Amino acid sequence: MFCEKAIELIRELHRAPDGQLPAFNVRLRDILPRAGAGLSRGGNRASYPPPDVLKIQRETYISSVMTKDDGIRQVLEEMKALYEQNQSDVNETKSDGRSDLIPTIKFRHSSLLRNRRCIVAYLYDRLLRIRALRWEYGSVLPNALRFHMSSEEIEWFNRYKKSLATYMRCLGGDEGLDITQDMKPPKSLYIEVRCLKDYGEFEVDDGTSVLLKKNSQHFLPRWKCEQLIRQGVLEHVLS
Amino acid sequence: MFVTDFRRDFYDVIQTERVLLFVASDVDALCACKILQALFQCDHVQYTLVPVSGWQELETSFLEHKDQVRYFILINCGANIDLLDTLQPEEDTIFFICDTHRPVNVVNVYNDTQIKLLIKQDDDLEVPAYDDIFRDDEEEEGEGEDDGENSGHESDGSEPSGKRPRFEEDVIERTMKRRERREWEARRKEILFDYEQYEYHGTSSAMVMFDLAWLMSKDLNDMLWWAIVGLTDQWIQDKITQMKYVTDIGILQRHVSRHNHRNEDDENSLSIDCMRIAFEYDLRLALYQHWSLYESLYNTCYTSARLRLWSVQGQKRLQEFLADMGLPLKQVKQKFQAMDVSLKENLRDLLEESANKFGMKDLRVQTFSIHFGFKNKFLASDVVFATTSLLESIEKDASGTDNFIKALDSLSRSNLEQLYQGLELAKKQLRAIHQTVASCICTNLVISQGPFLYCCLMEGTPDVKLFSKPASLGLLSKYLLQSFVCSTKNKRCKLLPLVMAAPMSVEHGTMIMAGIPPETESSDKKK
Repeated sequence: MFCEKAIELIRELHRAPDGQLPAFNVRLRDILPRAGAGLSRGGNRASYPPPDVLKIQRETYISSVMTKDDGIRQVLEEMKALYEQNQSDVNETKSDGRSDLIPTIKFRHSSLLRNRRCIVAYLYDRLLRIRALRWEYGSVLPNALRFHMSSEEIEWFNRYKKSLATYMRCLGGDEGLDITQDMKPPKSLYIEVRCLKDYGEFEVDDGTSVLLKKNSQHFLPRWKCEQLIRQGVLEHVLS
Repeated sequence: MFVTDFRRDFYDVIQTERVLLFVASDVDALCACKILQALFQCDHVQYTLVPVSGWQELETSFLEHKDQVRYFILINCGANIDLLDTLQPEEDTIFFICDTHRPVNVVNVYNDTQIKLLIKQDDDLEVPAYDDIFRDDEEEEGEGEDDGENSGHESDGSEPSGKRPRFEEDVIERTMKRRERREWEARRKEILFDYEQYEYHGTSSAMVMFDLAWLMSKDLNDMLWWAIVGLTDQWIQDKITQMKYVTDIGILQRHVSRHNHRNEDDENSLSIDCMRIAFEYDLRLALYQHWSLYESLYNTCYTSARLRLWSVQGQKRLQEFLADMGLPLKQVKQKFQAMDVSLKENLRDLLEESANKFGMKDLRVQTFSIHFGFKNKFLASDVVFATTSLLESIEKDASGTDNFIKALDSLSRSNLEQLYQGLELAKKQLRAIHQTVASCICTNLVISQGPFLYCCLMEGTPDVKLFSKPASLGLLSKYLLQSFVCSTKNKRCKLLPLVMAAPMSVEHGTMIMAGIPPETESSDKKK
């Protein structure tokens, strides 16, 4: 049946929990003429280990990616095939005057439209997720996540970063205001954190550094700790 | 140098700085640390907390952190050694020491710049006077015991050698000074020997910290509870005398009534979920409210030593004891909370009366209990046992610092599961102690070696891993000595100290040893 591949793509995104970015499902350089040169080989994508940060089940993910090999390519191929068939039928109808092909043409046309809609929805949803990644992880993404993005998406991400930075700079007077911090109103200036692994020296605002050793507890300004808490080095202690 | 005004000379100084806390591994230090942490969080003082469990760790941690912080606070470590010599800090580092170990090293007392002692001076410290120990070396060129002749020659060389009569006078003067100096040195040695020969403990650090909080009017019921736990820990580990314990309980009792008076008035009383502390004249049985009465009687040192529960006769005596009180065995062996209410009502008085008949005069002791919610009621000693067992738990893959963090967490009221876990571990520990003591006495492992008693635990003994930590071994030794003294008719045993040895780590082949003073020592100065 037509459009099944496209629905598969949508389902794949739907299954990935909120905020997670599955691997980009295509070998675009075979299809689209303007595919970027920076794309790594699509076939190897299945062998990339899923990042700890996204916490995806390793086995199920790899198997699903391998079966869903080249999802978009297949959709686009299908679209191409449908289009060609339609084209030939239209020519035939025009030249021979056969009106019984018209329902078929209409049917293929609507599947083409459906495929297009699915692909556009897929790409758009991925962009929204990538945008959320900037707000969550900051401007440097972990390497594992980068492998999940196509080169166009990476370019889009860079441009989004730049525009967000320009906006933030024009906000708060001379220095600008970092609005990606403190997403929820903070309850206190300083928080108590416990170190979960040996991290080494960590510099605080006034120039002094803190040695983060396993199982040592510190009382530090909140904004400095947020990054490390997200990375899992520190743990917020509530008492 | 002793800090007189804690608030001005200690707290105000560090309020704007970053500090590093070195906390020793015992419950009193943990409690003091919790109080200090609460104060720091209130005032946004940036701090780093590093647990240390020995001199080696203190030195290594100091080396790691000394470039980053200028102010160090040491809790329950560092007062009794020459700190500057051991750690070799920079010139502008300042140490605040709040330690119960006595005697305080004289260098620490008389150093004015770098070491500040957070110790109350009305504790009987008996520090020798400055002039008795230190002497400004003004006449260094003329004196010097070892190289008296050489330095004499050096100073001679600086003078013109032609003044003979003056030279003779100088010689006489110098010999007099040398003799004086030698006498002074001998006296100094004697004074220092007297000062440093006995080791004892002073007021609990947790109480000192609570006092500081009270001075600043920032004290809370929570902090008061931690101060109580710190004091009870000192008493359970036999670090302070009964007199001092009772005095300190009196001090805390005043604070308790100040914070908790609302409960007496029925109309304005607080909700049942609020925390309240109450003074209790309660039984000395370990963990009896979280265990069955029978188990608690069986495994508490005081009762088990006096009833001699390692022998069959002792068990019979225990049953007589229970029968005397009219408590049915079935009731006594089930969980305390499930005992009949009618039996629980007069339990304390009943037990005290019967205990007097059986030779146990001090079955009741003054203590405090904490109460929050409908289910949670703990005596101070319960919390001490639970926290000690968490601090020294022997789980694999749990390093010393992991245990420290767990124990620290268990002191907060929001971490009840950890406290219950600690209680279970404490029960195991007490049972193990009882069994080990029973086996040691029955197999005559306690040997009299002349001036002291000696006992060595072999590697194959069950539960011997539990005793590879200092506080557990200390508890075991105490119980063993008490039981041994009650078991023999030899009067001399009461005067002998006990030395205990147990394997510490099987791979490294190390042993841990503990020595405790004799039973009859009632003064707090112990060797």
